[in-house]
Amino acid sequence: MQGITGPEIIAATKYLAAALAMGLGAMGPAIGEGFAAGKALEGMARQPEMRTDLLMSMLIGQAVTESTGIYSLVVALILLFVVG
Amino acid sequence: MGEHLGEKLILTVKIGGYPISLDLITVLTSWLVMLILVLGALILRRGLRPPEEEPTKAQAFLEWVVGTLQRQLGAGFGSRELGRRLFPLVATIFLFVLLSNWLSIIPGLQSPTADLNVTLSLAIMVFLLSHYFGMRQKGLLGYAKGFIEPKMIFPLSLILNFAGELAKPISHSFRLFGNVLGGGILIGIIFSFMPLVVPAVLHAVYDLFIGAVQAIVFAFLAVTYINIAVER
Repeated sequence: MQGITGPEIIAATKYLAAALAMGLGAMGPAIGEGFAAGKALEGMARQPEMRTDLLMSMLIGQAVTESTGIYSLVVALILLFVVG
Repeated sequence: MGEHLGEKLILTVKIGGYPISLDLITVLTSWLVMLILVLGALILRRGLRPPEEEPTKAQAFLEWVVGTLQRQLGAGFGSRELGRRLFPLVATIFLFVLLSNWLSIIPGLQSPTADLNVTLSLAIMVFLLSHYFGMRQKGLLGYAKGFIEPKMIFPLSLILNFAGELAKPISHSFRLFGNVLGGGILIGIIFSFMPLVVPAVLHAVYDLFIGAVQAIVFAFLAVTYINIAVER
């Protein structure tokens, strides 16, 4: 049986690392954004006339919270496409 | 399109002995965006009527766009004068990013904002502007003192402030870049094995909706960063 060569180890590790990076990195922003949406819904239920303002603020806040998830996406992409 | 990720059309030019490489697709698509914006502005400008006459539908739409932009972005500035000075810049950033994100709906075209160079240059521009206006507002000494606050933990506060300032353009650029590129890759992958209905839906969600939200966030954060540097 042939031994496992170096490049194969690198390829296997990079796929595993990319999957871990994106998978674990997706958990945090999802929880945070769901929480923000819940709070926004509470506010909208309490004061329906503020609906648009609350919606806009919620979307902006969620987009900023999303950024750490995007960082892990970028890391995963770097691992997949840039690492030799 | 995953295969296309590694392929770029790179044009290497030597300027003064230094090789400069340009990503042709990014340059051409951003020129296309600029062309659309400038031509659109010129064409819409022709149809404008003086305030006494009743506005046409196109003019009413244009007034609504500018009015909304002014209220959301321009009013975000602390001082009215800074708002009036910088509103064209921020509105341009917003329109450029919005149109760039939406450009990938046209089949065959790629968003210029899917290139880190574009987003990073916009973020660096905002960063330099914020520090420039901060220095103008507070004077060089007052501005430098802002980095040493809070004084109790002196060396630590300097490091923290530096790190915070550096993190701003990085997060600013990477957020937009990651969202647009990630959406593009996702659409490309799905397109390769389900070319019929699903990519259209994905385009609507990822390009239109997320593109619009990210453009709003980018411009809004630009306003906020400049505001933070000028206040305090």
